[in-house]
Amino acid sequence: MQGNLSAWLVKHALIHRSLGFDYQGIETLLIKPEDWHSIAVILYVYGYNYLRSQCAYDVALGGLLASVYHLTRIEYGVDQPEEVCIKVFAPRRDPRIPSVFWVWKSVDFQERESYDMLGISYDNHPRLKRILMPESWIGWPLRKDYITPNFYEIQDAH
Amino acid sequence: MNQEKPMTVPSTRKDLMIVNMGPHHPSMHGVLRLIVTLDGEDVIDCEPILGYLHRGMEKIAENRTIIQYLPYVTRWDYLATMFTEAITVNAPEQLSNIQVPKRASYIRVIMLELSRIASHLLWLGPFMADIGAQTPFFYIFRERELIYDLFEAATGMRMMHNFFRIGGVAADLPHGWIDKCLDFCDYFLTGIAEYQKLITRNPIFLERVEGVGIIGGEEAINWGLSGPMLRASGIQWDLRKVDHYECYDEFDWEVQWQKEGDSLARYLVRISEMTESIKIIQQALEGIPGGPYENLEIRRFDRVKDTVWNEFDYRFISKKPSPTFELSKQELYARVEAPKGELGIFLIGDKGVFPWRYKIRPPGFINLQILPQLVKRMKLADIMTILGSIDIIMGEVDR
Repeated sequence: MQGNLSAWLVKHALIHRSLGFDYQGIETLLIKPEDWHSIAVILYVYGYNYLRSQCAYDVALGGLLASVYHLTRIEYGVDQPEEVCIKVFAPRRDPRIPSVFWVWKSVDFQERESYDMLGISYDNHPRLKRILMPESWIGWPLRKDYITPNFYEIQDAH
Repeated sequence: MNQEKPMTVPSTRKDLMIVNMGPHHPSMHGVLRLIVTLDGEDVIDCEPILGYLHRGMEKIAENRTIIQYLPYVTRWDYLATMFTEAITVNAPEQLSNIQVPKRASYIRVIMLELSRIASHLLWLGPFMADIGAQTPFFYIFRERELIYDLFEAATGMRMMHNFFRIGGVAADLPHGWIDKCLDFCDYFLTGIAEYQKLITRNPIFLERVEGVGIIGGEEAINWGLSGPMLRASGIQWDLRKVDHYECYDEFDWEVQWQKEGDSLARYLVRISEMTESIKIIQQALEGIPGGPYENLEIRRFDRVKDTVWNEFDYRFISKKPSPTFELSKQELYARVEAPKGELGIFLIGDKGVFPWRYKIRPPGFINLQILPQLVKRMKLADIMTILGSIDIIMGEVDR
């Protein structure tokens, strides 16, 4: 099942994979990290000027890490604005995704938070440092295989 | 031959001063640390440092069912608590296609708009206090206490109500609440008139606030701003009109916006939003229908297809949807128009009671990104004006 944006991208021979639609009917596309910064500019030129939210999650235990971008087109007097959801998967060992700060400035803190919580480093981000955890923290808290240091639960003897 | 040196702005000192406006400060934004680089009185750069109130809300959400998580969500934005509850409950409702009864939707809208007024009031107080006017700070608490009383009568708690449930609200409105709420609306319109008289045409206020922290429309969209910050820059983007959620379409109200994009425009947008909210509340109170306040037929037998609600073969277990409300393995981005901006939840369900990923898109976090850009070339005293007009609250910035 391909949505409009996916068909347009195929027409222009841009490599991507369509992940269908999410539960509300918003198109989801999967883009490779190498292509992401060029496709981001192309999407901005296409009209998606508002990046609503950027988040990251791990797809499976021990699997890939995903970085998700929700884009919308803000226009005057529009009833159902066009939206798209882009996912970029990165390997767990060395997760590096190009930063799209220079396209949509609203990912500034959000990419820092994804770096802080899941360890995905974004190339060309102007100040990629930890934002919510203290600067000296080791570990990536929101990963599913994260173990909280110095946290012992009281357990029964038997 | 001597070359002319280019004309530069004379700096008062050779070295720049770095000042720490530390996490403790007498303003109600919360624990926000700003490292400000100053040249005399001009601000060269400002770096916000967050994380002092980080409580791991997203990680906690991965281990709680929705009904267990509801008390946590009011602690994100603790001044507009109904919105956080609304979004927490809207996301699973949209994920599982649960219809909310009409009466419950009206009650939700009334509570949301009261919470919006409460949040804007508590924005106004510290904003004026940061500028230097201490009096509105006490006036707003007078009105906010009235809203607290209304909330306490309906939900049992003044601030951290645990009121919304999947499928409706927890309990119906008590007898006589609607009349009290109508009285509050009439009183509040006189209150707003008082604020207008005191603040809006005050020349000292206008000097402080006009032309400070200007954002253009295109830039505001690029920085991902939302809420009154976006509407004050000329973009008429209000999720209540765009998304048609709850039953906002049945009321007659307008999107409030201004064109200039400075702090005065943001102030005017918020004040007029309060008036619009009163209009919506009055219309909702006049037109509230009877009926159930919660959709109790949510828990249904699994894998039963093609049953329509209220038909003879509709099969359901008639119990409240807790604690084993299962989230299907889908993902969803739900959003509401919170008073501070667009509050969103990106929910990835796992076929079980706990979500796989629960990402909170806080409006304060995204709106705060523009602070370093806005304070460049401003005076030191303008930092507090700009920070105040952005309207952040650290509970949701840090989560």
